[in-house]
Amino acid sequence: MIELRQLRKLYKMGDSIVHALDGADLDIGAGEFVSLTGASGSGKSTMMHLIGCLDRPTSGTYKLDGLAVNRMSDRQLAMVRNHHIGFVFQTFNLINRTSAVDNVAVPLIYSRKTSTRAAAMAALDKVGLTPRASHKPSELSGGERQRVAIARAIVNEPKLILADEPTGNLDTRTGEQIMAIFHQLHAAGTTIILVTHEMDVAAQAKRIIRMRDGKIVADEMLDEHKRTALQAEARDARYPVGSPT
Amino acid sequence: MFFLRICWMAASSLRANLMRSVLACLGVIFGVAAVVSAMAILEGSTRDAVKRFETLGADQIIVMNGSDGGRGSRNAVSLSLTHSDADALGELESVKNTAPESLITAQIKHFEKNLSIQLLATNQNYATINGYKAVRGRTLTKQDVVSGRKVCVLGHKVARQLFGETPTVGSRVRIGGIGFTVIGVMEKKGFLGMRDVDDQVVIPLTTGLTRLFGNKYVQFITVQAEESSELESIMQEVKRHMRVEHSIRAGEVDNFRVMTKEQITQQIGGFVQIMAIVLYSIAGISLVVGGIGITNIMLVSVTERTREIGVRMAVGAKRSDILLQFLLEAGVVSVLGGGLGILLGRGFTKILENVTQLLETYTTPRSIILALGMAFFTGVAAGLYPAFRASRLDPVEALRHE
Repeated sequence: MIELRQLRKLYKMGDSIVHALDGADLDIGAGEFVSLTGASGSGKSTMMHLIGCLDRPTSGTYKLDGLAVNRMSDRQLAMVRNHHIGFVFQTFNLINRTSAVDNVAVPLIYSRKTSTRAAAMAALDKVGLTPRASHKPSELSGGERQRVAIARAIVNEPKLILADEPTGNLDTRTGEQIMAIFHQLHAAGTTIILVTHEMDVAAQAKRIIRMRDGKIVADEMLDEHKRTALQAEARDARYPVGSPT
Repeated sequence: MFFLRICWMAASSLRANLMRSVLACLGVIFGVAAVVSAMAILEGSTRDAVKRFETLGADQIIVMNGSDGGRGSRNAVSLSLTHSDADALGELESVKNTAPESLITAQIKHFEKNLSIQLLATNQNYATINGYKAVRGRTLTKQDVVSGRKVCVLGHKVARQLFGETPTVGSRVRIGGIGFTVIGVMEKKGFLGMRDVDDQVVIPLTTGLTRLFGNKYVQFITVQAEESSELESIMQEVKRHMRVEHSIRAGEVDNFRVMTKEQITQQIGGFVQIMAIVLYSIAGISLVVGGIGITNIMLVSVTERTREIGVRMAVGAKRSDILLQFLLEAGVVSVLGGGLGILLGRGFTKILENVTQLLETYTTPRSIILALGMAFFTGVAAGLYPAFRASRLDPVEALRHE
């Protein structure tokens, strides 16, 4: 589904050139659930922007579902994002002045769908927010807002969901509820790429890709054993030995 | 459908920031109000001019002082017309009647009542030429004019204001300090040519010239043609005759002007056009200022909503969609402003009408459509640059924007 070959992204910062992404090779199959982790500055955001067709690589090729995305125009990229990709952001990024259901309908408007309400309501139903459909984001809790954002991401039934620190602004319990939704979507066959620096969240995926300095430094499948080990590691990092729990 | 949804989106984002939207509107409101007022005033004055000259007969030719030269010569009018010119023109075969006319503003007194009126000195033909009749008493006779009698005929409104319902014929009044006897009251007529004759008092020409006006010249001569269908040729004949009468040699310019009702109407049309240019320029400038206001506020809005633009792009908005959204926002603001501006302009012209009592104004459907169209065009033009900026944002940068 995703095929990256020697993907590079360079930025000019004054006189120096920053290698935000330094020749990445990556294949992700349809229906996979992948975590992309790394410290800030590791290049994971750049990677997400490139995979999400928000940005173009300086060099290298990117094929999404067989389409050579790296050669597309702005207009074509917008259509790819609209039809094939759903974004979930850390800060939800909802439009505050309109209701939940109108927020969910935004991608449908841009795909020129004639009736948007039924589809938007169906997407809200999938995240369990039907009763809150007419509420504005300011009247919803953080978890509810993120569920609206997920509904917006899936309303056009994309094959790929890109989630950028989706639990970063939520407490642990709410974060778990959000992760449960991602698991459901994965079970239904959607490809999910989860960008996070939280190890216990990353450990919930089936595959984990670690980045550092613009390069992929590790790419492993997670079995039960490794997952438990990672989660224990994450807990230890959060509650160091000796601190009251 | 898509277009409607984008419109709805634009409207809802305007509603979300109501105060700002109102501020953005303000310039357009005043601009459109100016346009609508200008059009209403112009329409009013055009109709007014047409109405006034409709009352002049189609068989009339007006002879005036001054020459037919360039515009400049009109400023220094040398008086040359006399009542003997009128008599001479009256001798012509093709001319039915002539009336020399001289007009000043004067005071009329009856005991303690004192009015400011238009005093017209003319002859017995004035009433016949204009089909203007007396309701009480009589109009001037040839004898009144020849003997220079101190008699006067009151306009409808003058009679009512001076005497109310009491009989007036035979009463004594003082005009410009001289005693006159009222011999008649005219019917209610309204406008006759350029002036409201209900406000007018008519006296014999000879009396006026010798006792009140202090010169022997008349201001104009109204000539009534026998055949209104031959007005053009009769006009030429009048011209030729006047040149003889004034001993003007070949090659010299006329010291008088001859015009028909049509030509006077055309001249008024010329004045209205100049007025139109002035009014529309002012209205246009205020619309441009209104447009700059929209541009300004749209630029602020684009900066403030950078992140929203990023999100919209992320979920699949094309650059053209963003462009359209912001253009429509500017368009909606300006059309709403235009609507309010029309109401404001209408209110303003109504007040103008009631306060000045000078002219009626008309807001026609055509001017409303024109004003709304101009408002929309201004809005879209003003929104062009902000909308273009919004559409050129980089999605990654826009999403990072705080």
